Amino acid sequence: MTQVLVIARNTFREIMRNRVLYGLLVVAVLLIALSLALGQLTFTEQARITVDFGFAAIHLSAVILAIFVGSTLVSREIEKKTIMTLLVRPISRTQFVVGKSLGLLAVIMMSIGLLALVLAGILLLLNLRPNMAFLIGLYGICLEAAVLLCVTMFFGTFSSSMLSVSFALGVFLIGHWLDSLKYFAERSNNEAFIFVERATRAVFPNLEYFNWRSLFVYGDPVRYGDVVWVSVYCLAWAALLISVSAMVLGKRDLG
Amino acid sequence: MLEYWLGVIGPKPWSFMPVLKVSQLEKSYRLGFIPRPHRVLHGVNFELPERSITGFLGGNGAGKTTTIKCLLGLAYPNAGTVRFFNNEELTEEVKKRIGFLPERPYFYEYLTGLEFLEFYGQLSTRLKRNDLKEKSEKLLKRVDLWHARDKKLKEYSKGMVQKIGVAQALIHDPELVILDEPMSGLDPDGRFYLAEIIRETAREGRCVFFSSHLLPDAEVLCDRLVIMKSGVVTYEGGLEPFLAKMGEAAIIRFLANGREETLRVDSDSILQNELKRLLSQGAHIVDIKKDRNLEQAFIKHGLRGEGQ
Repeated sequence: MTQVLVIARNTFREIMRNRVLYGLLVVAVLLIALSLALGQLTFTEQARITVDFGFAAIHLSAVILAIFVGSTLVSREIEKKTIMTLLVRPISRTQFVVGKSLGLLAVIMMSIGLLALVLAGILLLLNLRPNMAFLIGLYGICLEAAVLLCVTMFFGTFSSSMLSVSFALGVFLIGHWLDSLKYFAERSNNEAFIFVERATRAVFPNLEYFNWRSLFVYGDPVRYGDVVWVSVYCLAWAALLISVSAMVLGKRDLG
Repeated sequence: MLEYWLGVIGPKPWSFMPVLKVSQLEKSYRLGFIPRPHRVLHGVNFELPERSITGFLGGNGAGKTTTIKCLLGLAYPNAGTVRFFNNEELTEEVKKRIGFLPERPYFYEYLTGLEFLEFYGQLSTRLKRNDLKEKSEKLLKRVDLWHARDKKLKEYSKGMVQKIGVAQALIHDPELVILDEPMSGLDPDGRFYLAEIIRETAREGRCVFFSSHLLPDAEVLCDRLVIMKSGVVTYEGGLEPFLAKMGEAAIIRFLANGREETLRVDSDSILQNELKRLLSQGAHIVDIKKDRNLEQAFIKHGLRGEGQ
């Protein structure tokens, strides 16, 4: 466990010392601030637009971090051969993969926390008090980012960072379309389409499960059973992807 | 026994367990658009005794780096065995006793020298934070990087990166230190300094195994050699026996017709004949110096294609 934490801490430090992170955070803060201005353009929907836009900015930042930084986590270590000096230490390839993921996940959670504070400040200005639904919305973003970073890292164990980004963006898009695909498949008579829809649902994570961003604005009740189930769903995907990543990396000749 | 030390490869006289024993190591890579196996190692065998500095020599593509990767579990051999210390496989416990510097190392540029050593120390030792810091600082002084301890590695020169690379290989007091081309790309000062560190490491009782293209450096550092050519070991044994086996070259300095001249001869028999000839021609022999060097012996060995 100590080895995993050492790797995670170093990964955290690596990302925190990368200027790109701060650029992304500044853009996200500006987007959240812009949500306030956009809200002014409407007469009755100011709060809804501000919340939607604010959550979208946080969601986008988390996804960008998970995919773009996640793509370099393992592939850059292999390309630059830094992995060689790590794996000759008493560290298994699984510990390496888990440590790297935890390091990036910590950065993502910290960024989400920071941006959430900015959004909460803006909401307070609009006399909207962030509640449990607000926190659950953020928690969903964290879970989605965790799955996406594991997806990206899995691709990074056997392809370049560029390809990992492309594959992960594909999974992101399909993961959000699965419900729409299901809707059309239920109304279709085409056997092939129905088969493809079922196969896609079996292979790709359904990222819409993590979407609790509208709970706060519509004042819908939080269903804690769903939250627990979706957390388990996220953990299962993360465990599967990390295990497969470690297995793929474990079979590879390095350097 | 005597034959062995004279360089005739035969049964090893060591009565102790070798630090490393490599037997029948084979490795193929699948290369090409339609991947076909390309055999790199064809049954590599050698051993490293305790407290030795062994040079791992061979031309480009001889299979040195592939062998090192197979030893350290970075690449998986197709056949053969690698055993460390008391006939142990490469386990997590064994890894704690090995230090490694890869070829053309690239380290985490965002870390400072001190952070870098602490990071590698944390991965390999169970030292407390303060003890580890103290140890890292001591090593930084030893590799002459104390002045750069708070500089990020991206600001380090190539020589400094190589030095900190050696320091990370030593942070956990390993019993076996494996260095892949530690001298490559260094200026003479850097090579001299690194050679000193390697000697000091061996004096502390560790076994050092390093690959190199730079034969003059290997000659002054090693007491043993493992030479590879085309994926097989063509020589394994002491440096001195290797040089002796490859012939005794000499340079004769003599005066003839009032002018000083030199003549290089490649073997003892040629030396005797040339001396007779020069003396019979009335030349005055000023001095005869042995001219043995690893570079010539290595080329001669390669031309003979021994071991294949």
